[in-house]
Amino acid sequence: MDAIAIDRVTKRFDSVVAVQDLSLRVEQGAVFGLLGPNGAGKTTSLRMIMHILVPDEGSVQVMGQHASDQTQDLIGYLPEERGLYRRMKVREALIFLGAIKGLGEAEAGRRVNEWLERLELSAWAEKKINDLSKGMQQKAQFIGAVVHRPALLILDEPFAGLDPVNASIIKDIMLELRDMGSTIILSTHRMEQVEMMCDAICLVNHGRSVLAGDLRSIKKSYGKNTLRMEYEGDEKFLQRPELVEKVNRFGAVVEAKLRPGAEPQEILKAAVAAGVRLTRFELVEPPLNDIFIEKVSEANA
Amino acid sequence: MRKIWLIIKREYLTRVRSKGFIFSTIGLPLFSVGIFSISLFLATRATDHTLKISILDNLGGLSAQITAGLQGKLPNGQPQYNIVKILDRPASGEEARRQLNDQIRAGELDGFIEVPKDVLEGKSALFYTRNSGDFSSMHTLNTAVDNAVIERRLSDRGVHIDDLTKLVHGVDMTMVKVSKSGESEEKGQTFVVGFSVVMILYMTLLVYGVATMRSVVEEKTTRIVEILASSVKPIHLLAGKILGVAAVGFTQYLIWGTCAMLISGYGSSMASAMRPGASVPNIHVPTSLLVYAGVFFVVSYLLYASLYAAMGAMVSSEEEMQQVQLPVTLIIVVAFLLYPVIMRDANSTTSVIVSMVPFFAPILMVLRIALQTPPFWQIGLCLLISIVTTVGIVQVSSKIYRVGILMYGKRPSVVELMKWLKYT
Repeated sequence: MDAIAIDRVTKRFDSVVAVQDLSLRVEQGAVFGLLGPNGAGKTTSLRMIMHILVPDEGSVQVMGQHASDQTQDLIGYLPEERGLYRRMKVREALIFLGAIKGLGEAEAGRRVNEWLERLELSAWAEKKINDLSKGMQQKAQFIGAVVHRPALLILDEPFAGLDPVNASIIKDIMLELRDMGSTIILSTHRMEQVEMMCDAICLVNHGRSVLAGDLRSIKKSYGKNTLRMEYEGDEKFLQRPELVEKVNRFGAVVEAKLRPGAEPQEILKAAVAAGVRLTRFELVEPPLNDIFIEKVSEANA
Repeated sequence: MRKIWLIIKREYLTRVRSKGFIFSTIGLPLFSVGIFSISLFLATRATDHTLKISILDNLGGLSAQITAGLQGKLPNGQPQYNIVKILDRPASGEEARRQLNDQIRAGELDGFIEVPKDVLEGKSALFYTRNSGDFSSMHTLNTAVDNAVIERRLSDRGVHIDDLTKLVHGVDMTMVKVSKSGESEEKGQTFVVGFSVVMILYMTLLVYGVATMRSVVEEKTTRIVEILASSVKPIHLLAGKILGVAAVGFTQYLIWGTCAMLISGYGSSMASAMRPGASVPNIHVPTSLLVYAGVFFVVSYLLYASLYAAMGAMVSSEEEMQQVQLPVTLIIVVAFLLYPVIMRDANSTTSVIVSMVPFFAPILMVLRIALQTPPFWQIGLCLLISIVTTVGIVQVSSKIYRVGILMYGKRPSVVELMKWLKYT
């Protein structure tokens, strides 16, 4: 049984087709990246999974059941734009979110206490949401998404606005929930996060799936065609259009995408000949960022 | 159902516990009761001991009348004023005043009235006292001197005060309300009751309608609505919200109603204690009016609250909310402003027509029922129109709400709204 099985789903708003003939499967226990440029149909797809919207065609199954009021309680959701009832107390607001997902209020209260403890928010339990810093509000909202221990956790940009310490705490909890059997859907524009956490991805553009599958196999299919380098000296040695298709500079690190069949040794030779001091010279699979850009611009062309 | 209950409960509890609610509901009546009690307390407190006063009458012969005007009693049965000494045309007014002033300074006297020689020509009388803040005594003393002087002027012209009182006594006119059940003396109760019921309906629709809308906008701007929509059916969310806010309103009215009853009970017992025999107009609210008002209120509250909620769902910010609420608020205001039409003649053709117009019907029909119960078929027809309108509006509103809560950005045009209605 898959955690999510979307089968040939189409959703229109008037003349606008938000999602077109989309099919995707998410295995149970996976961390799945749902990627795509803005307006690609990610939110609409997520809303159909959560049974906020109903597809015009096709079917959506969650945990083996057709998406319905019942499957809603199996899902925990952290929307991209955050917010909680500003004038409610933290604990009270979180108990409400737990209860609305089907927990009894006593049980919700117990779990909220545990989570507040774990995320070091206990001292703020009786404070109004308004009195919390932005980072604390983010953590509180994360509790709201996981308090009913959902089988499926949908996180939209979960690390946005979090400092590295809190981001790392949230990441650990995500992986821990996955290890306990939860399936996680991560919707984000931060490709390095996807590369670090996701087992599988689906890239949607214009409402269609343009790339889907196991992340490692996807990257493997592109082969090791990218040079990742760090060096001191003149970068003229990279100006070899017959070998290098594109150069991406990140400050210290420079990535050069090679043309098919190009020999990395040629570039190394040119670098040495030019007197460039190399501290890193590595042949790698293309970063997901490049794959994303390539796939999206390909579809838009 | 459990989830609707959770929504109602949250809406109710957070509102009832808010400072605004506590302030407006509990504060307001307490404040008015407090002010009322304090002023009553002070009014009775002001003269808790007998004032020792003297009268210095430079004209002569007025002191008997003045004394007659100072026969009031304190709550404990003691006289309000003790006339220590009457100086009738003393040999030296200067000397007498100085002596009396010395007595005041020595604490032997609370004050004295000085009537000047030419008081009949309009010269002011004087009251000497240490306590210059005692305005209630001042008023009594002034009245006593005033009456004495008027009486003297009249008797100087050969008119007896009692004759004059009889001569200038006016005629009252009493309005008699004729209804099926008979005639009853009208002292404006029907107007007061009718106007109050309409005023309460109007205020409630406005205040709690807007509260419902604010709640929708709050959930939308904070994006909680996305989480809620992934947990509850939008129609349940809307229903919970409307009922929750309604429960808050009900609570507020319950508290106010109780307080009002206490105040009026306290007030009328106070009034009769202070002025025995004074009749407090007895306002009678017929049960049938209350029942009709209740039924029409429920129907119109659902109508307006769902309309306000739909307006709230269309916007993405508090600022925009001010603009979209205007049309709905305007309808309620217009309905309210039409009340003089009904007041003038509750059964005129115009009255019958405006009271049947959907949206106005609840407020105006209730007013007609309060003034002059219309034929039953009119009430029934009006109720039917109202229910049909409400059912229609609730359906349209809930569709707009369902789509609107998930839409951000530009406010929809009317054409877009029509499309929303077709979304599944």
